[in-house]
Amino acid sequence: MTRKLTAAGFPEDLVRARARSGPAAAMPDLREYGLAMFGASDTPDPGARDMLDTLRLVPPVLMPRRLERLIDLGREPLYTDVALDTEIGGFSSPLPFIISALGSTNLAGGRIGNAVARQAGRRGIPMVIGENVVPSAGYGRLGEADHRSLRNRIRAYCAELPDGWGGIAVQQSTEDADAEVWNLVYSDPTALALIESGRLAFELKLGQGAKPGLGGMSVVETADGTAAVGQFTLDPVFGPDASRVLRSATPGTFTQEILHHQIVLMRNNFPQARVWVKLPPGRDIAAAAGIAWAAGADAVTVDGAEAGTGWAPLSFMNHVGLPLAECLLRIAPHDTCCIASGRMWEGTRAVKALALGARAVGLGRAAFLAADEDPEQGLLKLLDCCAFEMQLLISALGKYVVAEVGREDLWGLPPAATEPPPTPPPITIIDSKEIP
Amino acid sequence: MILPPDPRTHLASSTTRAALRLQRRILDSVRAHLTGLGFTELLPPIIGPVTDPGARGAKQVDVDYYGHRYKLMTSAILYKQAALLGFDKIFFIAPNIRLEPLETAATSRHLAEFHQIDVEVAGASRDDILELLEGLVSRVIERTLEAEAATLDELGRDTAALGKALLSPFGRRTHSDAVDRLRQLGHEQSADAEIDWQGEVLLAAEAEQPFLITDYPKGSRGFYDRESKQLPGFLRNFDLIAPEGYGELCSGSERENDYGKIVTRIRETGENPAKYEWYLKAVREGIPASAGFGIGLERLTRYIAGLDSVWQASAYPKVPGVPSP
Repeated sequence: MTRKLTAAGFPEDLVRARARSGPAAAMPDLREYGLAMFGASDTPDPGARDMLDTLRLVPPVLMPRRLERLIDLGREPLYTDVALDTEIGGFSSPLPFIISALGSTNLAGGRIGNAVARQAGRRGIPMVIGENVVPSAGYGRLGEADHRSLRNRIRAYCAELPDGWGGIAVQQSTEDADAEVWNLVYSDPTALALIESGRLAFELKLGQGAKPGLGGMSVVETADGTAAVGQFTLDPVFGPDASRVLRSATPGTFTQEILHHQIVLMRNNFPQARVWVKLPPGRDIAAAAGIAWAAGADAVTVDGAEAGTGWAPLSFMNHVGLPLAECLLRIAPHDTCCIASGRMWEGTRAVKALALGARAVGLGRAAFLAADEDPEQGLLKLLDCCAFEMQLLISALGKYVVAEVGREDLWGLPPAATEPPPTPPPITIIDSKEIP
Repeated sequence: MILPPDPRTHLASSTTRAALRLQRRILDSVRAHLTGLGFTELLPPIIGPVTDPGARGAKQVDVDYYGHRYKLMTSAILYKQAALLGFDKIFFIAPNIRLEPLETAATSRHLAEFHQIDVEVAGASRDDILELLEGLVSRVIERTLEAEAATLDELGRDTAALGKALLSPFGRRTHSDAVDRLRQLGHEQSADAEIDWQGEVLLAAEAEQPFLITDYPKGSRGFYDRESKQLPGFLRNFDLIAPEGYGELCSGSERENDYGKIVTRIRETGENPAKYEWYLKAVREGIPASAGFGIGLERLTRYIAGLDSVWQASAYPKVPGVPSP
């Protein structure tokens, strides 16, 4: 198999090992058992990159919740007794994971995109299909037999989807609105089974972690790109003679009013679809999330500055946007459904994000790498490994349901964030002064 | 759900022929009435770079126009507004194409291809346009009852029920009042959204006369419906609902014609205003304030004829999702 994918700054080898070995990769090398001794290193974790990495999960000694579970079971609980299933944005999921948006770049297209979709569907994990797929690869009707098409992704996902589990969220950005992606999906027979079983969502994309404030970017051949003139901006940044150009989508303009009304319009136009909203890690993320929930969004996805699979300027990757943990601290999701994404690939970051209030976490780069490692089983094994780790971690906290994990389970938070803030009042008044 | 039979059976059926005779009478009456009031009938456009984005959930049909992606008209609303640059009072009998969500195949009220009686009046207020609408619908019913008694009898139409439309002015209720009533009836209706298909049928089943629902919330309609200055968040628009369970016949509104507000409202629908270039240029340079409406011709025919389903009022019916000639 040709390996094409790389992910600089991401623990690629560890993800690939998990995609090969599943839960075994969560433990030390078996060959060293009985020979090597283990324990904490005397230096800080060199791989730690953000607050989510540096926070520690801190089990208590005294565990009333474990007693409750013991009484339920009539025996001592084990890590295998931790229930990981949860409700995510109106969908039922066996694990607190979603597969984050797979966009329109060549990375997401074709073989790997469909391998991810097939495996996510088999496990019943909700999956997001990213922006610009239709403008870039078509929908897949009337002879556009492009294997990267949106319709093929939906088909691959639904092929082995178990009844009652999972669902697909289809993103629409400003450019997608021109192609009417949501209307297309909503009136298409391929999506009918998902619609009728309440397993279709539309995700309004306001931006993304890797480049908050900018729209989607991809690199296209000059010849391909000319077809998109007028819809995307084409910029010859690679030189006047280069065969490829930078293609940018607009980020879209949002105010309180515009966000509120776009969500209301989605609910009006697509009454049988769930409404998801994806936010970039902006400094006003708590206000934006509040507007989304008040307008009726079923889920808000928070893409931390650590997130992103797509093409982004180097300056943005390291210097722009709030880190994921800070986003979650500002939002304090409480009972609302918040999905967190940003360098997720194993159990600890996931459990810490849940402790900060997320309902689920999104796998992006990790899902790609796993499917690249093994198109048939890689993602499934990665999910098995994550589930195993999460069960170990959550049971160690003396809890047996994912929703019970909270800030009390974390050490190393900024002092002001140790206690969860009070529930913010719902936003009901929209500031009409924003309208010019 | 009963679907149309094959074209031969459908076209040769006595019900189809009677329904289409009524439809011709309706069109004659509409033209006579509006022309008598000084309206100019224009022929509507079929394709354009943009069309009405306000159709809930429906997909537009793309056309390759010399390499440009054009649209078949879902409605000619943008062209109606522009037409007022030439004439103060216009109407179209306009074909519309909407690839409606598949769920609408079972409503008895949706066709993917249909026609609208599209009316627009420069300088009109909502009250002005409602008076015109009521006069038009009443005149059409009156004329049909006079001239097509035999056809109505052949179709088994309860003409006493139809005649009740003429007894008094059409009632009015606001959208929020309609929502309250539906919730009283045990129907879950969102206060932010259009009245859903089933909700319209429930309200229509309680009525003996056509009635108007006004003041839909912003976000439930296209960007061209004007927002109320007195009631921010609500639109100066309306639907006409037919009684006896027939449901929505017509939508209309006072129109927005302020450039900045239109651009902002387009963003509220998620789109890039750039695609509306020709329209926004016209608006920026100034188009008249106006009000107007569009009546679904096949729906009006269905109501007057008392048909079970709207496809019976079309010679070549296209039920959403069903391959048809």
